[in-house]
Order: sequence, then structure tokens, then C-alpha cells
Amino acid sequence: MPNPSADPKIKQDGDFELIQAINAGHAELFTELVSRYERKLYNFGVRMCRDVQDAEDVLQDTFLNVFKYLKDFRYETKFKNWLYRIATSTCLKKRRKSRFAPDRELSLDEFLPKEEAEIPVQTPAWASLPLDQLLNEELSSIIKEGIQSLPENYRLVLVLRDIEGFSTAETAQVLGLTPENIKVRLHRARLFLREKLKDYFSHDA
Amino acid sequence: MTHDASHTACLELFEKLSEYLDDELDEQICQQIEAHAGSCVACKTCLETLRQTIALCHAMKQNETPVPANFSDRWKECIRKMASEAVDAHQS
Repeated sequence: MPNPSADPKIKQDGDFELIQAINAGHAELFTELVSRYERKLYNFGVRMCRDVQDAEDVLQDTFLNVFKYLKDFRYETKFKNWLYRIATSTCLKKRRKSRFAPDRELSLDEFLPKEEAEIPVQTPAWASLPLDQLLNEELSSIIKEGIQSLPENYRLVLVLRDIEGFSTAETAQVLGLTPENIKVRLHRARLFLREKLKDYFSHDA
Repeated sequence: MTHDASHTACLELFEKLSEYLDDELDEQICQQIEAHAGSCVACKTCLETLRQTIALCHAMKQNETPVPANFSDRWKECIRKMASEAVDAHQS
């Protein structure tokens, strides 16, 4: 049963009625819920786990958990936020069994120009080109690789904020962190990615 | 204008660029950032390259791959079976 005291806006997320019906005994409608999020969640898994097989496992394990615990979902947050909280936890468990390098902290200092020669005298052309002229298959691969080379704590925040489209507050809720922490990690993750783009375009020039 | 990375205004701006671009700062701070970026090429460049980096990330939303069909069919069948068992259990 949904929580009657939950914020009414949360119930306007488009999933409320479907979840109510599933929890009222129409479990066959669960496949509709899966269809709504399957593709997004699979791509989230690919971005986070960097491996197609792991992404399939994340998708499967996440929905198995959703199926198991949906009856206890009280609408204290949007369904999508709850879903990604489960998916994130599944990704992190997956990682522990996986082969990835240990996480590291990114410091702001590493993104500051170190020498006078690194200080730009004009804005590079790539920064002002329209996206449809800029974004091609090669650049997409560079961005994907850049995202995948981010330490996991930073990758999670960047993917949730800048690709999945969660707000700062929602991302904080999904990850169980403070909004301030999310802002710090997001800024450093973006600066990290910007360095990758700067390198790519400086070689390209 | 010459640029010194240790320059206080540049460092303050550098720390807040993402919040500025996300519209998460007070108007007064936004105005300070705009005034500084207007006269400092290095900070203006930081701002514009970061803005484009974010725009490129947002554009990656469109770059989704479909779930492999054989996997999707297989595991959705499992879901259907589980759901059907749950319906039976609810009715009995």
C-alpha cells in the first residue's frame, strides 16, 4: 500500500497507478513496469559496470529485487529514485566481485593549470561549436571512455546527474549522500572529463 | 589580462563553475562570476569548456544501446512466470 502521508507530487510520477495495481494483485502488470525502465537501466548498467554481461546481471538483479520488495514501497520518494537506488547498490556489489582498479579521490588542484603555458589565451573552437557539428562517433567513444575511466564514486554522480537527469537533491537521495557532497563530486567529475576532451581536441588540432 | 592560477578570484570562480552552470548559486554570486569571467580569458575559457563538456554529457542520453534481444526475451519470460505465480498465489 502506498504511504498516504507521502508528498502528493511524488505520486504524480506516472508510475503510481501502475504500482498500485501491481500491489493490489495484478502482478502480471509488472512486465509493463519493466518495459518502462528496462532500456534506461541497462544503459545505466553498461555505463557503470563497463561490461555488457555485468549490465545484464544488474538489470536482472535489480528487477528481481524490485519484484520482491515492491509491496513494501511506500512512495517516500519517486519510484524511479527508488529503482536507481537498488540498481546502484547492485552495481556496487557487482564491482566488488569484478576486476576494476581501486577508487581514488580527485582533487581540485589537479585540474588547475600548472604552468603559464597551460593558461589559455582564447577559448578553443570546440567549446563554441553546435553539438550537431561536434558530436560524431569518434567523440562519443572518447566521452564514453572518459566516463568509464572516472573513479566509481565520481562516475556514479556524473552518470546520475548529467546523463540520467536526476537533480542534485534526487542524486543525494539515491546515493545516500548530502547535496553538498554531490556538488563537489560532480564538479570534479566534470573537470576530469573536460581534461579528456581538451586532450582529444588538442591532438585533433 | 594576465592570469595567475593562485589568484583568489580565479580560484573562487573555478570552485563554483558547476554550481553556476547548474543555476544553483545566488544571483549576487552569479553576477560576480559573470563580471570576473568577462575580464579574465582563462576563467572564461574554463567556463565555456566546462559548459560544452556538460552539454556533451547531456547529449549522451540519446546514445543508448538497446537491450540485447535474446537476453531481454529470456529474462522477461522469467519475470512473466514469476508474475503469473504471484497472481495465482494472490487469488488462492
